[in-house]
Parts: sequence; C-alpha cells; structure tokens
Amino acid sequence: MTATPILRLRGIDKSFGPVQVLHDVSFDVHPGEVTALVGDNGAGKSTLVKCIGGIHPIDGGEYWFEDEEVQVHSPRDAAALGVEIVYQDLALCDNLDIVQNMFLGREKRRGLVLDDATMEEMAAKTLEGLSVRTVKSIRQQVSSLSGGQRQTVAIAKAVLWNSKVVILDEPTAALGVAQTAQVLELVRRLADNGLAVVLISHNMNDVFAVSDRIAALYLGRMAAQIRTSDVTHAQVVELITSGRSGDLGLATTNGATA
Amino acid sequence: MKAGPSQEEIRRHNLGTLLRHVHIGGSMSRAVLADRMGLNRSTILGLVSELTSAGLVREELPRDTGRAGRPSLVVRPESDQAYVLAFDVGVDRLTAARIGLGGVFLDRREARMRPDHREAGQVTEVLADFAHQMMDTTRQGTVCVGVAAAVRGMVRRPDGLVRAAPYIDWKDEEFGESLTRRLDLGLPVSVGNEASLGALAEHLRGAGTGCQDLVYLHGDIGIGGGVIAGGQLLGGDCGYGGEIGHMVVNPRAGRPCGCGGRGCLEAEAGERALLEAAQRDPSATGREAVRAVVEAADRGDISARAALHDVGDWLGIGVANLVNILNPRTVVFGGTLREVFLGSAAQIRSRVNSHALAASRENLRLRVGALGDNAVLIGAAELAFSTILAGPLEALARTST
Ligand SMILES: Nc1ncnc2c1ncn2[C@@H]1O[C@H](COP(=O)(O)OP(=O)(O)OP(=O)(O)O)[C@@H](O)[C@H]1O
Ligand SMILES: [Mg+2]
Ligand SMILES: [Zn+2]
Repeated sequence: MTATPILRLRGIDKSFGPVQVLHDVSFDVHPGEVTALVGDNGAGKSTLVKCIGGIHPIDGGEYWFEDEEVQVHSPRDAAALGVEIVYQDLALCDNLDIVQNMFLGREKRRGLVLDDATMEEMAAKTLEGLSVRTVKSIRQQVSSLSGGQRQTVAIAKAVLWNSKVVILDEPTAALGVAQTAQVLELVRRLADNGLAVVLISHNMNDVFAVSDRIAALYLGRMAAQIRTSDVTHAQVVELITSGRSGDLGLATTNGATA
Repeated sequence: MKAGPSQEEIRRHNLGTLLRHVHIGGSMSRAVLADRMGLNRSTILGLVSELTSAGLVREELPRDTGRAGRPSLVVRPESDQAYVLAFDVGVDRLTAARIGLGGVFLDRREARMRPDHREAGQVTEVLADFAHQMMDTTRQGTVCVGVAAAVRGMVRRPDGLVRAAPYIDWKDEEFGESLTRRLDLGLPVSVGNEASLGALAEHLRGAGTGCQDLVYLHGDIGIGGGVIAGGQLLGGDCGYGGEIGHMVVNPRAGRPCGCGGRGCLEAEAGERALLEAAQRDPSATGREAVRAVVEAADRGDISARAALHDVGDWLGIGVANLVNILNPRTVVFGGTLREVFLGSAAQIRSRVNSHALAASRENLRLRVGALGDNAVLIGAAELAFSTILAGPLEALARTST
C-alpha cells in the first residue's frame, strides 16, 4: 500500500449545459491498488471517468499525475500519461479479430505496411502476462468470444501500452458468476503487478472481494474515500444511498462537503 | 561447543538452495542467482556445474531474448529428468500426478472413488496402479526423487499415521507405510493434510507467493485449514495444527459438526450448511452445487442470498479470529470456498473489519486461490520434493541404487 497517489483530482466540476453533474470532486488513485468507484445510477461515475480519460473537458479543478499538474484535453493526452480506460459501452469491433482490436487506431507499421508479426507477438505476450488462457486464437473474431472473454480482451488492450492507470467501468455488469470471477482475478492481478486500477461496480461482493480502497460518489459529490479494511458493507451502502454514514461522508447532503 | 558447519554442509546447503531457486522461480541467470543467494559468481559457477553433471539443471539460452545485447545463459531445472509422484486422496476422487522439477505436470491420473471402495487397502491399490502407469511412460535415465500423498484428515508427525479421516472412515491408518511398501521404490511416502499442503502450494506458487504469513482455507465437503507462519507450515506438537474448520464459533446454539462437537466453523459455513440454508439437497455437495447457489443468488434468489449472507458472516467471524491470533498478510480461499468468497465477500470483509484489531488487519489481503483444484496436488509434490531440495546429491545417490 503506497502512500502517494499516482493520479489526483482536486475540485473537479463538470456540467452538461445547465446541469452540473460533478461538484468539487476529489479523487485519488494509488499504484498497486484497486480503487472501487461506487455510487447509485446517475451519481456521475462514468462522467468522472470520461473526464479522466479526456473525453469530456473539465470545467474546473486540477488534474495531477505523478506529482505534476497536467492538462488532459483528449484521449490521446490521457494515453500519453499512461491512463487507459475500458468504457462501460465497451468499444470492441465485432468484425475484427483480437489483435486488430487491441491495436485499433494505434497499429504498428513497418514502413507503409502493417507489422502483423510484432502486433501478434505483443498481443500474445500481453494475454500470457495476464495469465489469460481462455482464448483459443488471437486471430479469432471478437464476435465469437463470450462476454467474459471480450472483457478480457478489452482489459488486455488497456494494459498493452505499458499503462500505469487502468480504469474499468462496470466490467462485470453483463457477466455470469464464473466469468465475473475470472475478470475479478484479472483485475486483482493487474494491481498486484503494480498498476493502479479503478473498478466501477454496483456489486458489493465484487467491491469487497478485490478493492483496497472505496470511493463513493453521491449526486456528483465525492462522499468519502476510505480503505476497504475500515468499513462495513452497511456503511458503504449508506454512503451510496445517502452520502453519509456516521462520521463518514458529506456534512450535509444538500451542499457543502465535509 | 558445537563447531560451525563444515565445508561439506555448506556446499550441500548451497546446492539445495540453488536448486530451490530455479525449482520455484523458474529459469534464471547465474548473475541473478549470485545476487539472490549472496554468493560470488565463481561459487555459483561451481554449484551449477555440479548440479548440471547430476542432471538436475541445464544451462541454455533464454527462450525469450530481448532485442538488445547479448543474451546470457539461464539455469533451468531439468523437469524431464527428476520428478516426484503426488497423490490426493479426496472424498469421492483419487488423483495422481507425476510432477517434474520446476513444478511441471508431466502426467496425471484421476478416478472416481465409490463409497464402498474407500478402505485404505483399496486406495493403496489404485494409487499404486496409477504410479506404475505413469512411471512406465518415462524415458530411461529419469528418476523419481520423492513421493507424497494428501488426505482429508489428521496426520501424525513425523510418521504419517492417519489418525482420523472421518469423511472416508479411516482411523489410525498406517497409510504412508503401506503405500511405501506397495510402491517399493526405495523412497518413503510422505503423508500430509490436504489443506496444509494447499497452504504450502499457494505459499510457494500461488496467491501467497512472496508472503511469509498466510492462512489457507480449503472448502471441500468440510473446511480444511493450513497456516504458514514465518515461511513455515505450522504443525503444532504432533502435526495436527491448523484445523481451522473446527474453530468453535457458535458452541451454544450451533449446528452439530462431524467431529462430534457443535458450532465449529465447518458446521456453520461448510458446504452442507450452505446447501441446507439455500434449501437444496445438503448431501449433494461439490463445486457444481456451490456454484449453483452463488449463481442463484446473483439472479436474485432470496434463500440463496440469505444462505450466502449467513455463511459469509460465519466465515468472516472465523477469519477475524485468525487475523487477531496470527496477523497473516494474506488469507487465501481455496477449493469451493473460492466461489463462496466471491459470493459473500461483502459479509466476510465486514465481519473482519468489525472484529479484527485495526493494526492486525491494516495490511491484510483476502485472496482467492491461484492454483484452483490443483493446489492440493501441487502441495503434495512440494512435500515430495523437500528431500532433494535439502541435499540434492545425497538424495540422488540414495535413489540410484
Ligand atoms: N453527455 C451527456 N450529456 C448530458 N448529460 C449527461 C451526459 N452524460 C451523462 N449525463 C448525465 O450525468 C449524470 C451522471 O451520469 P453518469 O453516466 O456519469 O452516471 P453513472 O454514475 O455512471 O451511472 P450508472 O451507474 O448508471 O452507469 C446523469 O444524470 C446523466 O444523465
Ligand atoms: Mg456509468
Ligand atoms: Zn468440528
């Protein structure tokens, strides 16, 4: 458990037109740890993640990465920092194979032609490094994969680029029990290998099974960020549903933060 | 006054340590070995050449050569040359494997065990059969360097007498001795408790790699336990230690336990308790049945949810006690407890966070086993390898008679 976060957000505001979705949000992400980001539907989890990934520009606040304040205006900026995101609306192309998907938009070339050999080798190595043995061939079309395998490929795509922070928006939402178990083990392994992982999930068993810290968003405000070893299920549910639990959480639920 | 270790003892120790490094860590260069063992390169060179001529390691170019620079040779265990036999005596299944130095599965056999074929004599016959089948296929010059078996019961140290294995109705069974006689390999068969061996396996090769203090919980028909403390398997006075399944959590109002007691962790949180609470057939135990409860809970089945909630609660209470007493870095959930953990982690964690002392739990990691259903067999193999790792050349000399 490291003391210094690799990614720090301070006072993030974000509005869509007249509607303010994020209010003064602070958020820390630590290397070697899984940080669970929880909150009710519409709390602003995906929006926060899209701000981190450079899809939505932030209206105000600070974005710190490895102790430097940075400006992230596009997904390219985020990727350059080593921040990769697997979005909730999973972006894999059904009609392409695993290798093509992993390198989509960032293909390796040798001169003018695609360097298939290198891409295949990198894809295979990444999957192997994640101890992924369930996919038969890396030249398989993504449409032929199960939901769990698709998530696995999406996650492998995110770690392929020597990324430092990997953010997963509800990777287990559509999966059955066995596939969820596989994805959770993969999530845990990424963090144990030193990456900073953010996991968005509504399933409290998933959250308590793999996370080291829990960040709870309530109506666009960060209600609390706590260590998973310091809270109970009931407290986290309270933070999600009312923004506070005992001493934890927002001072009042209609405005100022604690 | 005892004199310091002799040159000979130091050499034996170093050979064993080097072999252990490549056995557990896989291929590595002499420079890395020198660094890890704190020895100079010429000493390492000497040790490697001794182990090479004994046929236990080989030096070769690494498979995965980086683009830049001249690749240096790596020392690699001779997995095809030296192997052990590992057996797992389950409740309804017998498993055997031939596992090479470095932990490579070379061969594997499995048979279902009928309830009327559980007598130690019959089990010994099946295992001996497996052993001969697997050894028949080996090439000339390969050598078996150890044999070990896991049982779901209490095993006396050091002679391996199985004091009680209630699920297969064994009592004071001289299992190790009869299997040794029946195999007739000139090697004693070591016997160990299944969850202790699972703990060893996860510690050396699984979810607890690099962690010196670990508790392993193994869900099977019952709940087995194994404790690694300071890098060593905790056995207690006679080897019976680590029976976490019989930690008493609810003695007054609790459910009866197979041990004759009441309110043991196994009685409250074992497969039977889970199935019964989920209103399923409690005698139809096994992974499929447990998984079905977790799946039903995931789909919203109320009694399945309540059952997992209860079982998770008891498991959390048990783990909290263990954390307060042992301060482990990692608690590993193996066997069918893997599914149970994933389906009730919120309850387990909440109990631990409420009852374990803050200082003891702050670095605690709860993990599912990384070795799956092979954990027990791998642990048995590690037990079988311990002789050759303690003194490689002496062990080889004894086998090649
Ligand atoms: N592009 C957009 N334009 C306008 N409003 C948006 C946009 N994206 C999100 N919102 C609004 O912002 C709020 C937060 O949405 P967001 O998707 O971040 O929630 P969430 O916490 O991810 O929820 P869920 O758990 O359902 O995924 C919602 O009220 C949503 O309608
Ligand atoms: Mg969302
Ligand atoms: Zn008991």
